[in-house]
Amino acid sequence: MMEHAHYRAAILADPHSSDADLLAHRETCAECRAYTEQLLKFESRLERAMRVSIAPKADVLPFERKRAAAPTSRRWMALAASVLLGAAIVGGVWLTLPQSSLAAAVVAHMAGEPEAWRRTDVAVPKPELEDVLKNSKLRLKPDAGIVSYASSCTFRGYKVPHLVVQTASGPVTVMVLVHEAVRHPTQFDEQGYRGTIVPVPGHGSLAVLMRDPSIGASEIAGIAKRVDDSIVWTP
Amino acid sequence: MNDEAGGKQRRARFQALCQSLRPDLLRFAFWLSRDRALAEDVVQESMMRAWKAQDSLLDETAAKPWLLTIIRREYARTFERKRFSTVDVDELIAKEEPLLAAAEEQDIRDVRVAMMKLPEEYREPLVLQVLMGYSTAEIARELELSVPAVLTRLCRARRQLRAACGEDTSQDPLE
Repeated sequence: MMEHAHYRAAILADPHSSDADLLAHRETCAECRAYTEQLLKFESRLERAMRVSIAPKADVLPFERKRAAAPTSRRWMALAASVLLGAAIVGGVWLTLPQSSLAAAVVAHMAGEPEAWRRTDVAVPKPELEDVLKNSKLRLKPDAGIVSYASSCTFRGYKVPHLVVQTASGPVTVMVLVHEAVRHPTQFDEQGYRGTIVPVPGHGSLAVLMRDPSIGASEIAGIAKRVDDSIVWTP
Repeated sequence: MNDEAGGKQRRARFQALCQSLRPDLLRFAFWLSRDRALAEDVVQESMMRAWKAQDSLLDETAAKPWLLTIIRREYARTFERKRFSTVDVDELIAKEEPLLAAAEEQDIRDVRVAMMKLPEEYREPLVLQVLMGYSTAEIARELELSVPAVLTRLCRARRQLRAACGEDTSQDPLE
């Protein structure tokens, strides 16, 4: 005859077990039957709890991300749009983007790396930084500022450099998105992060973010410009 | 031309396979990392690795465990690369609050919060069993543990979860 403790340990490890000895014990033991029923109720809760909702995604594997060059007329429209957007930026207007946007993905990625935001003046060792940058074929000019964090991160299926540059305004996070071409600069203000994504002709785009809610749009745009200027693209 | 058509067909098939498995794989990665953004990245990277190594998948019906193994390795690599310091569980819970509270019932949210607090050594085999439908022997193989070790971890996992959720554990076996 199986002991209660043995039965309960086994059923706790696998409540749906169909082991013959366990079933036989349950048939003859009302206490263990009640224990199992209670356990199975919890198991049902556990199964439902584990099934967190997952948003559908149409393109789970980004096999092809080539973007055709915009026709001339669309280029003019894009230029006009960027002029208007530029005016909005200067005026300090922030845009809140839908969750599915590139900006939302950048913000979501940032939120996953809280350790990157530490304010420090300790620079990442040069070889480590070069290692992170080399896959994206770039290097930084010496006057770029102290890079206190450098990681090669997976972002939407590609390895991208994720850097934190210490500036007078505080730590600024930079993601070099060579696989993400954008047509015009976009400002965003999401989940406590303020930033911009700017096009880098021929090299995708650059995302620049700060966690300071007092930072202005034009200041972020200026920082993005300085970061862009400090990048040297290598063959 | 035929090669190109064949390539497209292969990609479409692989895409469909990943699409169908993605929800469970993402859930697994989420419970492994307790971080939705990280889970997304790990699964995406794993699928790209799987695509490059698809010749090693001889039987399509074995795709799920095959991908799951790739995800576990990718997560371990990510973990090593980023050299995470100690994890503040309360911070993780606060960050993932929208996901945890997405369930209508409070009791489901309670289980999710308890899951977030469960040590990884107990959480991972439990997710493999409950969510992925692995047998004890399969978990042992995947985690490179003995079957008795897996049973012990599963037992402790449920005991801790039930206690954290206010269930009556007075009848639970003593260690």
